[in-house]
Amino acid sequence: MSARLRRLLPVVAVMAALSGLFVFGLLRGNPDRDIPSNFLGREVPDFDLPVYERFVAEYGPRLSLAEVRGRPMVINFWASWCGPCYDEAPHLQRAHERYGDEVLFIGIQTQDRDARAAGRAFIERFGLTFPNLFDGDSRVSIAYGLFGVPETFFVHADGTLQHKYAGPVTEVILSEQIGALRR
Amino acid sequence: MSALGVQRPSAVLVALVLAALVPVLLVGSAAAQDRELDPRVFEIGRELRCPTCVAESVSESNAAIAREMRALIQEQLDQGSSRTEVLAFFQERYGDWILYNPPMRGLNLIVWALPVVVALLAVAYVARLLRRWRAAADTAPDDVDPDDLDRVRAELQGPLGEGASR
Repeated sequence: MSARLRRLLPVVAVMAALSGLFVFGLLRGNPDRDIPSNFLGREVPDFDLPVYERFVAEYGPRLSLAEVRGRPMVINFWASWCGPCYDEAPHLQRAHERYGDEVLFIGIQTQDRDARAAGRAFIERFGLTFPNLFDGDSRVSIAYGLFGVPETFFVHADGTLQHKYAGPVTEVILSEQIGALRR
Repeated sequence: MSALGVQRPSAVLVALVLAALVPVLLVGSAAAQDRELDPRVFEIGRELRCPTCVAESVSESNAAIAREMRALIQEQLDQGSSRTEVLAFFQERYGDWILYNPPMRGLNLIVWALPVVVALLAVAYVARLLRRWRAAADTAPDDVDPDDLDRVRAELQGPLGEGASR
């Protein structure tokens, strides 16, 4: 190897490393969504939110997390403008029907101010039978440290968080996580 | 063209200008909503990342969640919370990710230390280069091979050298 080539070698190595870093940054997608919740293993925050009319007879006009604790919970955050929320809603409803009263499913419409009519239409469209609440000012979304919607929190009976899933849940994910909650 | 000779803007042009103004008006109305907020809200908001945006702080973003966060910061300031307490409130929920200046501990240390290390390495490399150049400049005449020197002298005294000196 000539002296000139040897001198250029460190420069080429640095350029290659920077190019690799650049390509990695482009291809790695959105890593923010993979950040685990800060509540992992801790108690999730309490909330007290208005309940959609369809569920008032069973749960009353407002639902507080403190009142319904005592069994495993699946808390799903959604919005009427969010496409992936429409993909996952049928899976959530089927899982709710499968596990019945053993697991409490709660839907929370959030980051969707002044969209109660759209929220009602969403619930009707998928025939959701688990309680759905309205987080009009997104305060519960902030309390839970949401990056976006949909996000689903799998919570133990004692109120501690087992797992947060960012993105649309599938039947496989629901089955795995609920299985772990019931163990 | 009108009777006075002034050309009227076409309907398409007017529509384009109005369409361009829509985002400006929307941002303007968002700013108006925030007008009542304490300037400290924006100072604190600049230290927080907007959770649903890309590379925007809570102060800069017009996203609904950023507006709610600004309102929440205002409420906390009204209740007497300090800047540190407000930042800690968001950090407890979102983790270190939410802070534009991550705390100096754990893996975050790399973020703080790396620029300093790179700068020091660059200074050391330039210093080494300068030293080498200076040394080369000082020692160059001594490095000449005596045989080469004799050959050059002989060539200068030869026909070519004489021709060149004429």
